[in-house]
Amino acid sequence: MKPPLGRTLLRLFTVQGSWNYERMQGVGVGVAEEPLLRDLAVSRSAAAYRAAVARAAHFFNAHPYLCGMAVGAAARAEHDGTPPDQVERLRTALCGPLGSLGDRLVWAGWLPLNSGLALVGVSLGLGWWTVVGFLALYNAGHVALRWWALRAGWARGMRVAEALRQPVLQRAAAVVGPGMALAMGAALPLAAGYLGGPFPGWARALVAGVAGVGLVLLRLPRLGVTGLRFGLGVVAMALVVGWAWR
Amino acid sequence: MSLEQQGLLLVWGMLVGLDLASVPQAMIARPLVAGVVAGAILGDVGTGLRLGVVFELLQHDILHLGAVRYPEYGPATVAGVSVAHAATGALGIGFGAVVGLFTGLLGGVSLHALRRLNTRAVQRASDALEAGDAATLVRLHVTSLARDAARAAFVTAVGLLLAAGVRGFLVGTLSVRGAMVVAAAATGAAIAAGAAGTLRLVGGRATLGWFAAGLLGGAAGAWLK
Repeated sequence: MKPPLGRTLLRLFTVQGSWNYERMQGVGVGVAEEPLLRDLAVSRSAAAYRAAVARAAHFFNAHPYLCGMAVGAAARAEHDGTPPDQVERLRTALCGPLGSLGDRLVWAGWLPLNSGLALVGVSLGLGWWTVVGFLALYNAGHVALRWWALRAGWARGMRVAEALRQPVLQRAAAVVGPGMALAMGAALPLAAGYLGGPFPGWARALVAGVAGVGLVLLRLPRLGVTGLRFGLGVVAMALVVGWAWR
Repeated sequence: MSLEQQGLLLVWGMLVGLDLASVPQAMIARPLVAGVVAGAILGDVGTGLRLGVVFELLQHDILHLGAVRYPEYGPATVAGVSVAHAATGALGIGFGAVVGLFTGLLGGVSLHALRRLNTRAVQRASDALEAGDAATLVRLHVTSLARDAARAAFVTAVGLLLAAGVRGFLVGTLSVRGAMVVAAAATGAAIAAGAAGTLRLVGGRATLGWFAAGLLGGAAGAWLK
């Protein structure tokens, strides 16, 4: 691994550290891209380097694990002498695809899949080893995706769209969706059994009743009920009932 | 609970809060992980796991899409475990949930405030950023990271204070039956949130089939267990 690429990869782990409503991930992306731009000060001029750093820190928002692709591609384009407006257009064009691909692949696939497996493991009595397994498996995919994205962008520059069409990405998206559904489907009854197990019969009936009412309320988006609001409401009511019932 | 344990919980809560969005997003912020480590700090991994499962299910109600605002359940689980540990077995889940849900709400509000502070800092530095000043860029980023660490520590500290209040006021005041009502209600709410969140993710007919297969398998497993 080239040292600047390694530094960029490390900095990418903090890419959302300065997330804000104006440039969103822009500052973090600029910080991550900067090591790859340092050569410009030597190969071209200090002014070219500063202009590239300024562009790198402009507005950007995508999935944090895939930001590296835009970072690598933009840095490569700067080295290739691509006109500034085209570099800006490339960054803008990558926000949407990298965001939606990452959301589908990671937030709605890989993460709930691993979380579901961990819930199954804990519910079956595997204990804290499940949590170690969750961290190891999840982060194997996480780090591999970050590294692949950075390298793909750095290798292709303005032709980075080719990387997004790779069959392996499509296959991964096709596998994690059903895997997530299977794992979470299994996790729900097992977790309910694990949590409800120690309660006596009447309390288990209460668990089932609250879960049923909550599911109906949470499935009606017009009501604007969220898990947090429902949880707070139900727990507040339970405190009053619990206080009165001695 | 000793002062050392409280200090360790505070540091752990800060790391968990940082992991959520800033660094390194390795998912130690997931309630299951946060809960187990908090439980280990208190010498009670079982309670950490149980409350971790409750908040992990609640976490499934949240999708981290775009700039969406959401509660923060990592430090909330840490604070929740510190109070759940004080009650016996499953009864502690209710107390832990009371503390955790309020701390999660505070965490969400604090994230929004942090992002507004970051926005102001970026606006102040915009001239230097437009000039391509790399030193300013890095300083801005590191300062924002430090700000998030302070925010996460603050949220955890408030959660731990709330936990101390609940330990002193609620635990022992509610009857066993009353504590069980709270625990059962919190458990039901978590299952509802987990199921609703999963159903939102399971979109198409093909995925629904896999979900149904998992549900049948899980139900059989729970019954056999």
